[in-house]
Amino acid sequence: MTLAALAFSSLGIAAFTAVGCSTQRERSATISTADLRVDPRLAEGQRVFMAQCNQCHVGGAGGLGPSLNDKCIPSFLIKFQVRHAPGTMPKFSRGIISDAQLDDVIIYLKFLRSHPDGEI
Amino acid sequence: MPVSRKRSIIRSIYTACVATACIAAVAGCSVHGPSGGGGQALWDGQRHVSVADVWLPPGYKIEPVVIGLNFPTGVTFDDAGKVYVTESGYSYGEIWSEPRLVRVDAKDAVVVIARGSNGPWNGATFHDGNFYVAEGGEARGGSILKIDRDGNTTALVQDLPSTGDHHTNGPVIGPDGYLYFGQGTATNSGIVGVDNYQYGWLQRYPQFHDIPAKDVTLAGVNYESRDPFSAAPKLARYQRWFPIFAPSPRLVLTGAYSSFGTPTKPGQVVPGQIPFTGGIMRIPLAGGQPEMVAWGMRNPFGLAFAPDGKLFATDNEYDVRGSRPVWGTGDVLWEVTPGKWYGWPDYFAGQPINNADRFGAPDAPVPRRLLASTPNKPPLPAAKFAVHASADGLDFSRDDGFGFVGDAFVAEFGDMAPTTGTVQDPVGFRVVRVERAGGIVHAFAFNRGRANAPASKTNGGGLERPVAARFDPSGNALYIVDFGVMLTDARGVHPAENTGVLWKITREDTK
Repeated sequence: MTLAALAFSSLGIAAFTAVGCSTQRERSATISTADLRVDPRLAEGQRVFMAQCNQCHVGGAGGLGPSLNDKCIPSFLIKFQVRHAPGTMPKFSRGIISDAQLDDVIIYLKFLRSHPDGEI
Repeated sequence: MPVSRKRSIIRSIYTACVATACIAAVAGCSVHGPSGGGGQALWDGQRHVSVADVWLPPGYKIEPVVIGLNFPTGVTFDDAGKVYVTESGYSYGEIWSEPRLVRVDAKDAVVVIARGSNGPWNGATFHDGNFYVAEGGEARGGSILKIDRDGNTTALVQDLPSTGDHHTNGPVIGPDGYLYFGQGTATNSGIVGVDNYQYGWLQRYPQFHDIPAKDVTLAGVNYESRDPFSAAPKLARYQRWFPIFAPSPRLVLTGAYSSFGTPTKPGQVVPGQIPFTGGIMRIPLAGGQPEMVAWGMRNPFGLAFAPDGKLFATDNEYDVRGSRPVWGTGDVLWEVTPGKWYGWPDYFAGQPINNADRFGAPDAPVPRRLLASTPNKPPLPAAKFAVHASADGLDFSRDDGFGFVGDAFVAEFGDMAPTTGTVQDPVGFRVVRVERAGGIVHAFAFNRGRANAPASKTNGGGLERPVAARFDPSGNALYIVDFGVMLTDARGVHPAENTGVLWKITREDTK
């Protein structure tokens, strides 16, 4: 693989990540309590998201930080960003968000992406 | 070099490139980029109203009650169920008008009950035949006013320390029969600075500063800033381009709980006083000396008692401005425990703010601790709102006719970026519902569209800047006080008079 191919594929992935599958989506409103009742991991993800993430990524949409609900971000990248946080985002250690909780947050984020204009 | 080794290096480079590119896309470099605040809009100068532009949960409807209010801030109801609104009489941006208490008789008809001259009037409550108004008193200090049905006004308490950034707010009557009110701080984070000069009040009251409720011992940390009172400032702006000819600005040191230009020493004790800035006080309904309920808050704007009798308060947290900017602090909802210190000016939501990774603003030093010791371990909030949302007036649902009994409904005024800090996307401009268990914040009423924004930015007819939310006596209708249009830019905020709206949200099956 040449360096040009490397750079090209990197840019392609970055563009895909930035644009995602989202251009026609509205932001997330919130999440159905019915879904939460049947999925405790989703409920835990929501709880942790509200405590640690919602201030900057409001309901998964943008605010102080970028929107998350309009991008198809791979789970490993979310984990990397949360733990190491290059850029202006603070990092979250395992003492603040455990590995299990981070997995639940990712479940919650995926739910937000799939319910872009959900009900209460 | 062996082929396998070469492949390994290429794979590592590839992984690093992919990760870096993706993280850049996810994280953005945005905080350094241009701000995308909700007030940063090209507005056509007309307040449009269209209920179709407001998203609500299925089964709910919204309607405008009255349009064209002048900086409305609060709503209350008399014993006959009639609706009354406070108009502020003052807005950030140094716009002065007449504070008023008005009765809403029809969609475009209001009757003036009382007038004042010392705005902002920040909300009212009705109890036993009288109205009680929080007079913010930007010009002459805060008061709690008692107004009878004929408009006769008496001050139950006055000379509250309210001539700074934040004011006397949100009166509520407690189950104990006392009147509770909030008092905001003079400053953003404890240090009087050039930002306060730009806000206007430091020019009127150069000796004003924050006041603790109890004695505090200072760490002796001082912040250097230019002196806007010196002759230099008008010329100093040109120093950047003509460094030889323009004079250097005079620099001064200012410490915590001290007037501008007054440094502090380690171990210095600032005596507590009541009334104080940054907390909740209460007075008997007949008037009298205020008592401290809670302190160490920043701007407890909204107060409400939950159905179980517990007192809750919204608190507007730090801005990225002034000599001691603090980054990344969302507003909070406190369950108020009497006597507690809630952390200002050294904590946010139970966390110390001298943490560069979490609270250090880009291109600014990390906030240093101002207090040598903390009065108590600061409590954790009941809920956190978005950074710069400006979570303001709130109320609790009490009736199944509306639903969500026990949940808090909070009006989010919306960001004032870039003056209070930059944002990537507009924040606030909506009403949220808060589940107390778990502190879950649900969007409840907001403008339709791909991006969250006030109506002036979406060119729609929905919400602009919700500042108060209160249920009517029946509990079936939630009234939303919408302050109106306030545009923002790097020069400051630019409120538009007579653009306020009172909205009413009910269930669709409510008659």
